Amino acid sequence: MRTLAIIAASLAATASAIAQGDLSIDIYYGDRPDVPKIAKLGPDKVESPKLAFRCAKVIPVEGDPIDDAIVLSQDGKIVAIGRAAETAIPDGFELVDAGDSWCLPGYIELHCHIAGRGFELNDTLHQTNPEMRTLDLITMDHEMLRNALAGGVTTVMLIPGSGSNMGGFGTLTKTWGRSPDEALVRFPGCLKIAQAGNPERYAGDLGMTHMGMNHGLRMTLERGQKYYQAWEDFDAGKGPKPQFDPALEYLRGLFRHEYPVCVHTQIYQVALQTLRELRDEFGLWTVIVHGTFDAYRLSEEAWKRGVPVSNGPRQFQFNYERGRFEGLAANWYSGGRHGFRHPVRGLGRDGIGINTDSPVIPQEQLQLQTAMAVRLGLPWEVGVRAITINAARFVGVQDRVGSLVVGKDADLVFWDGDPLDPRNAVEMTVVNGNIAYRRNAERPRF
Amino acid sequence: MITKYVLPILLSFGSHLVAQDEPDSKPTSQPTDTAEDRPSETKDDDAADAEEDRFTVIRGADVYTGTGSMLRRASILIKNDKIEAVGHDLDVPDGATEIDATGKAVSPGFVSVGSSGFGAPGTFRLEEVADGLNPWDPSIKLGLAAGITSFGMMANEGRDVPRGKSAVLKLAPGDLEGMLCATDTILSMRMPLDRQQWRKLRELVDQAREHLDAVAKFEEEQKSSAGKSEDKKSNDGKDSAKGGKKKDDPKPPKPPRGTEEILDLLAGKKLLWIDLGNASRGWFMGGPTNSDNEKVRQGLEVAELLGRGVVFNRPITGWVYADRIARTGSMAILEPRSRVEPDEGNPDITGSNLASAAILADAGVPVAVMSPTSNLTLMGLYGQDVNTLHVDAAYAVRGGLDNRKGLRTITLDAAKMLGVDARIGSIEPSKDADLLILTGDPLHYASLVDTAIVNGKVVYERQKETFYSHISR
Repeated sequence: MRTLAIIAASLAATASAIAQGDLSIDIYYGDRPDVPKIAKLGPDKVESPKLAFRCAKVIPVEGDPIDDAIVLSQDGKIVAIGRAAETAIPDGFELVDAGDSWCLPGYIELHCHIAGRGFELNDTLHQTNPEMRTLDLITMDHEMLRNALAGGVTTVMLIPGSGSNMGGFGTLTKTWGRSPDEALVRFPGCLKIAQAGNPERYAGDLGMTHMGMNHGLRMTLERGQKYYQAWEDFDAGKGPKPQFDPALEYLRGLFRHEYPVCVHTQIYQVALQTLRELRDEFGLWTVIVHGTFDAYRLSEEAWKRGVPVSNGPRQFQFNYERGRFEGLAANWYSGGRHGFRHPVRGLGRDGIGINTDSPVIPQEQLQLQTAMAVRLGLPWEVGVRAITINAARFVGVQDRVGSLVVGKDADLVFWDGDPLDPRNAVEMTVVNGNIAYRRNAERPRF
Repeated sequence: MITKYVLPILLSFGSHLVAQDEPDSKPTSQPTDTAEDRPSETKDDDAADAEEDRFTVIRGADVYTGTGSMLRRASILIKNDKIEAVGHDLDVPDGATEIDATGKAVSPGFVSVGSSGFGAPGTFRLEEVADGLNPWDPSIKLGLAAGITSFGMMANEGRDVPRGKSAVLKLAPGDLEGMLCATDTILSMRMPLDRQQWRKLRELVDQAREHLDAVAKFEEEQKSSAGKSEDKKSNDGKDSAKGGKKKDDPKPPKPPRGTEEILDLLAGKKLLWIDLGNASRGWFMGGPTNSDNEKVRQGLEVAELLGRGVVFNRPITGWVYADRIARTGSMAILEPRSRVEPDEGNPDITGSNLASAAILADAGVPVAVMSPTSNLTLMGLYGQDVNTLHVDAAYAVRGGLDNRKGLRTITLDAAKMLGVDARIGSIEPSKDADLLILTGDPLHYASLVDTAIVNGKVVYERQKETFYSHISR
């Protein structure tokens, strides 16, 4: 009975921590520089008409919802936002009446394989492939990008596949733009590492087991770290000029904490390796992108280390011992006992994201992914944050996207109603202030 | 009596049904085999009189009837395994089991038009379906938790001629007899056919028609020979005719070999599913990349040849032919969210259309929906299989179908595709008491099944089972 009481008290403490607004996670960005040296950022200014969008409700995600609202956009940015009665439409702005719709920031997908030709994502010659990158694949005239727009997704992290332990570097891009350069948010968006659950080399050479895979990753990361250090020393006038190595150049930016490593990792044991090897040992800015099966049991360990989780495409694990559907995003979020003697803390409101791994789940179904997470216990508000501001913070682009705030990109999506209900569709999508998609009710794309 | 209150509701449902179901009311309103599989109404009543009737009443819920309407805070009276009455202020007999569903929603049990598992045998021959059932299969409860109370399954599907065996099964845990809803209501064949196959099919249909003419002629002759009325009598009653003067009696014509299925279709005893090769394509990188216009048109020709509606199984371009599908009395099973890009040359008539369900329903075509994956899987990809059949109905609504009609796509209209809509699929008096008490609107993504009732028995309760009891709602 006493044990039960302790557990009950501890559970209550965890629950109340969340209830009392202890929702934050201190995401670990390392010593991230203000201005990147290796990474290339997208354009500051994007050409766009002066538009005034009026709709029934704006949910800015950061800040309270606004009824009967107006959003003004110019040069790709939001220049004003407020109640229609209190927001004057300046001269030169064209009114776009979005009727009864709800306006939300465009959704952000942190794990996808779209925008390339076909299913082009794995070159598995080496066990680790830091020389690969998705940047060159991107074409804006792509069916899956059009579907993304119809599904309200305006920013995607296009990453290589998980066929090898280090698939290469991903690109963070908008889903619309007159050119890939205009659409770019950041390259590299992240490094893609895959730990177990696909990259195993079952033929029996090095990398068949976790030990071999971790060893391969460690060797490559150590080479990258040395290369990075040599350049840092040179820049500080403490060493000779190192020889330029294109294969390691982007690892240099990774160790400068200009971008994170997005890790395909799942299962308790493997996710623990992620936290220990990538976050603890190499001090990398780390984002878990999958976090499926029973990895949620590490919620407190991840929270302590400031490692957020973008969960998906699996949204539940069937717990055979307890015979129940474990909602993965909900469990990461809230923590709980999860087989331990004492309950563990969750990642909280700001630490959980959701992804589709499209085209595993089609890109336009990011909304459904989140709806399913809510069905399995994630609070609605957290669901909306998961695919907007949270995702933006995880990869460090919250100054540009993820919420509707003056000065941020005008990535606006106008929904029929509850933006998580699959019955509701996108009426209009605006990217960088340009109307990128309008729904044709006769023949809707989605 | 209860009838006083129920009659207006019954009438309103009835008229609604007639209006909606016109194209296919003939083939589907008389499901075959049900009389054999289940005790008849009178038998039921007799037995009930002897054993005492079991009454259950569900009170206070918003009742989504599955026909397209919704009654706010209504009650449902269940007598044994059938729905007795639906409405307000019902006359409830003393001793009825009370279920308080205030603030909740009630829906007909969901019908999956084509699944496996849930206690069904992996494969079956006609006479063995019942033998292969396992009413203690744990996946039955999983299906009930997902709201599925019935599903169809097929075997030995036809290729170039209508063929196949089918069963409609219920998720009735522990109740072997209760699991079997109907057998052999469906045949199937696959499009497209080549020229030779078309000739063969036309020949079979001609032979079947000739046979029907011969039978009609024979019966006419029998009737007109009025002088031999006594002989005819003995001829009709086979039992009494045993050992009679057989030699002299003219025999009715035998159906030509190979026309048995065609005859069933012509008589409206079975439904014909037109397989377009689009089903079961899975979720991952799969799916057709080409439109199926030619195959749908050929399917329509089959319907016209038979003079009977057919069921299009997951057409991509069905929306292009909505009027013709309606005119032939045909129906469609859709996977609303599946996407096929239009062909560049003919973008206006090729490719998928999210509005398909709405377009077809507007034309008067009954529409059912299916998930990308037709079975319930536990691999964790939520929202892609029949674990969340309501999501596929939700996507039909997204495409423009009315929200309440949307529920029909996984209840009454789904039952129509299986030829069992006279028994299941809606909450109407005299229908099977297969229904769900949900935490909210049946098509809302977060609604969970609180209670599932099959054949009038409570067979799943969320709070008593492990699957979803930990989720507060």
